[in-house]
Amino acid sequence: MTTVARGARRRATAAPPALTAAQTRWIGAMIVCAQLPQAPHLPWWIAGFGIALVGLRFVLLRRDRARPGAPARIPSWTLVLFAVAAALAVRASYGYLVGRDPSVAFLYILIAIKFLEARTVRDGSVLVALVSFLLVTPFFHGQSPVAALAALPALLVLGATLDALARPADSPFAAAPRAAILRTARLFVQGIPIAALMFVLFPRIAGPLWGVPFEAGATTGLSDSMAPGSISELSLSDAVAFRVDFDGAVPPPAQRYWRGPVLSRFDGRAWTMAPRTAPGTLARFGAGGLAYTVTLEPHGKPWLFALELPASLPDPSGGGEDEPPARGYAFVSSDQQLLARVPVTQVLRYRQLSMLRDAFPEAERGEGADFLRLPSRGNPRTMELGRDLRARGGSDAAVVAAALAWFRAEPFFYTLMPPLAERDPVDAFLFDTRRGFCEHFAGAFVVMMRAAGVPARVVTGYQGGEWNPRGGYLIVRQSDAHAWAEVLVDGTWRRVDPTATVAPSRIEMGLSYAMADTEPVPLFARLDSGWLKTSQLALDALNHAWRTHVVGFNRERQRKLWRDVGIDRFAGWQLAALAAALGVAWAGIALGLIGLRRATLDRERALWSQACTRLAQAGLPRQPHEGPIAYAARASRRWPQFAIAFSAIAESYATLRYGPPRTRPGERDALVATLARAIDVLPAAGDLRSAAS
Amino acid sequence: MASVAAQLPAAGAWARWRERLFRLAPGDGDCVVLRHSRIYILPSRRGWTMIGALAIMLLTSLNYALSLGLGVTFLLSGLVAAALLHAFRNLSGLEIRPLAAGETFAGGRLVYTLAVGSGGRTRDGLEFRAAGTATAVIDVPDGDTASVQIERPAPSRGRVALGRVTVSSTQPLGLWRAWSYVHFPLAGIVFPEPEPGAPPLPRGAHGQDASAPGQGDETEFAGLREFQAGDPPQRIAWKAVARGAGWYTKEFDGSGGGGPVALEWALLPRTLDVETKLSRLAAWVLMAEHAARPFSLAVPGASLPAGQDREHRRAALTMLATLPAGAAT
Repeated sequence: MTTVARGARRRATAAPPALTAAQTRWIGAMIVCAQLPQAPHLPWWIAGFGIALVGLRFVLLRRDRARPGAPARIPSWTLVLFAVAAALAVRASYGYLVGRDPSVAFLYILIAIKFLEARTVRDGSVLVALVSFLLVTPFFHGQSPVAALAALPALLVLGATLDALARPADSPFAAAPRAAILRTARLFVQGIPIAALMFVLFPRIAGPLWGVPFEAGATTGLSDSMAPGSISELSLSDAVAFRVDFDGAVPPPAQRYWRGPVLSRFDGRAWTMAPRTAPGTLARFGAGGLAYTVTLEPHGKPWLFALELPASLPDPSGGGEDEPPARGYAFVSSDQQLLARVPVTQVLRYRQLSMLRDAFPEAERGEGADFLRLPSRGNPRTMELGRDLRARGGSDAAVVAAALAWFRAEPFFYTLMPPLAERDPVDAFLFDTRRGFCEHFAGAFVVMMRAAGVPARVVTGYQGGEWNPRGGYLIVRQSDAHAWAEVLVDGTWRRVDPTATVAPSRIEMGLSYAMADTEPVPLFARLDSGWLKTSQLALDALNHAWRTHVVGFNRERQRKLWRDVGIDRFAGWQLAALAAALGVAWAGIALGLIGLRRATLDRERALWSQACTRLAQAGLPRQPHEGPIAYAARASRRWPQFAIAFSAIAESYATLRYGPPRTRPGERDALVATLARAIDVLPAAGDLRSAAS
Repeated sequence: MASVAAQLPAAGAWARWRERLFRLAPGDGDCVVLRHSRIYILPSRRGWTMIGALAIMLLTSLNYALSLGLGVTFLLSGLVAAALLHAFRNLSGLEIRPLAAGETFAGGRLVYTLAVGSGGRTRDGLEFRAAGTATAVIDVPDGDTASVQIERPAPSRGRVALGRVTVSSTQPLGLWRAWSYVHFPLAGIVFPEPEPGAPPLPRGAHGQDASAPGQGDETEFAGLREFQAGDPPQRIAWKAVARGAGWYTKEFDGSGGGGPVALEWALLPRTLDVETKLSRLAAWVLMAEHAARPFSLAVPGASLPAGQDREHRRAALTMLATLPAGAAT
């Protein structure tokens, strides 16, 4: 046996191994890669401070290199000071310390401080674990494809850091960063089947395990009050409110009223929701109904949106149509609002049924009295107009018609930039400026109705939406926010949209058509065609698919997938067994591929051990110290008649195994063939034994 | 050592299973190829830390229903799983042979050498360790055979078995520790420590003076041979080492020495204890060799006729090393 002696590295076991400069650099790179996706969601000074601390360690590393032997050390009391200061600053910035976002901010700083004092490989392990958690936290603030892409470099560098930590400084593998990244990438690729398996099979939970606190964020959307200007301000936003996939045909724009908060209290200026809403009854689903799926962006409020009249309760965590919906998630109020029991703080996907009806019966007899209240003072001219309308009209229906006719006759102007009046805003709008947005029209109309003695209320929500032909779904943006009125006539609530009377194109075509070119309509609501619009729609389609299949892969979709594959009938332990079996199959395939490679590499060794075994059975085992040539010589002395075969076996094997690499094509194969043929010539073990005796 | 099975106590299934699991007896023969049945894997400390972090990430992602959080968690889990396979693969198929067990004097270090064949793929960061030894770390390139030296301090004389060797590796990411036990019947010999300041060689049996000609300097230089572990440092051809020509040991021709000398236990003062007697005899053996004089050795229960060569010296020292402590009384 030829033994190539190599310098053995010896490791001192007493002290924990210190971090090398290369390992420290890896850890620093990993921390920065994890910090960057998190930084936009932190106060800028926390984000900057964390990155600066990492930079400081790099500066110290440079200094260490300039002055070897005297590594820079930061006194530990400074670090404690840093940590306390960071905690106080986070507390000051967020107003509280125990909560999701301040905790993340504190962790962010703490990792940087820990890095500043990290000296041993064990510190490195702790940092890797902390940083892994920091990879998850940016997703609290959004799960866009960009956020997903932003996590990938950090993942890769984290793997490479583990690789670097696992190698002692003098390992020949420790040097090249490119090689470390490639090795890690290969491991990640090999792990993808396991990751996919876990993603599909790991059961999602129905509700949060612990309370998910509502964190006030920069979410836009309809609120529980409507003051002049609030909806027109919302209409300046391009942000998507929700997306809708219809099961069948899409209703025409004039029928796309997405019902949201219903406002019935008026203080002379702003409309607000009734403080407590009684539960109501759902409309019956029947002919002419629509089924669709809403993917709602988080807006931090409890309302859920449905087309016109909801006929089902949203159940985002439920099993689907064939399972009875869990009643717990949402309820319908007596004014036909869909309300979740907790605010919507994450992307929500729910199936919904609706009836396309603009009228429905009152919830209980005599409830109309609640919808006649007006402040005792203010807006005197509107009050008078109301009384006047009642005097002229007679029946409730006639009063409504007369009011709409009045709106049509007077020179009203639909604009996003109405002048704001401080006193008696309804009077100012109806009689002086006559310029307003939908909230002005709806609000003033309801005041007129109440003054005329017709029960009425304001309904806010969205109207219209843009069809995305790329993805085949409807995009409803904040710029589609709308307000309209509902009046109670003869025991039936009817929708009345004064905006439609003044600016019918708003309802038929959308905001940009109803507005003059000088109005600040958001870009994507304004765009009609062209490459920008096309690419924007394509991007949105991608985003929607992402939300549906990746971000929205919740319990419901998981169950649906299981149903489609046919594994939904399995019990929990059977699923676990299936997962384990697939995992073993993965390991088998991965190791099998490796094994196959070995077999082709080592044909000569298999043949050699075959020859050795045969001789050993014949009574001449190879001695541990014996090389092939010496063994063949001994065998030739015992069986001189096969000397040629023995030497052929030994020589070809030794050349293959210990000779210079065979470079010419076929040379190697020829040697292997020689080896195989020589072994074929040898008689079986029993014959050899008798030949010797 | 041939019939290892016979040394095993004839015990029940539990004992056999225990032996199979922990390799408590030197049951491994010429060459061990590590296979799945003797490779064990558990998370390393870093692995446990990582698994803890993954558990927290999983809980958080589930609680906040973060699909992408789950995605990141599962991707990292995939990495950990792949590292598990590679940790197994780093040991699987490794060929380990016992190569040599060293010799040393008490107070020195005993070196055992194993040959490690790559078994068809590159192995990084293999750690070898037996009870009481330092950890030796080697890398074996594909197609290569490396030798690994396991060192152990040798405080007292005797035959010292290598014992069970733990071959382990935490590569590739340090998250898993894969290990395997190999137990070769490999034993080194620790000679008694030569007594410092020992009295000169006794007078020869035939009346020749022991201190007569032949102190080492005057013996004739006979040639160089390859260095072997345990050779005295003063015999190493340092000039050759410095030239980079390799490690050689100078050999001296003993023909110029005095006559044969008899080293006998019985001649030692009775007041000395057994170990001191052995130490003195060991010192005398070295002196005789140094002086290039043939010597014979007699201890209770064993004796060696006069001789002079290197094998003779080794046989004498081995006899001293393995003399049972109770044999002399």
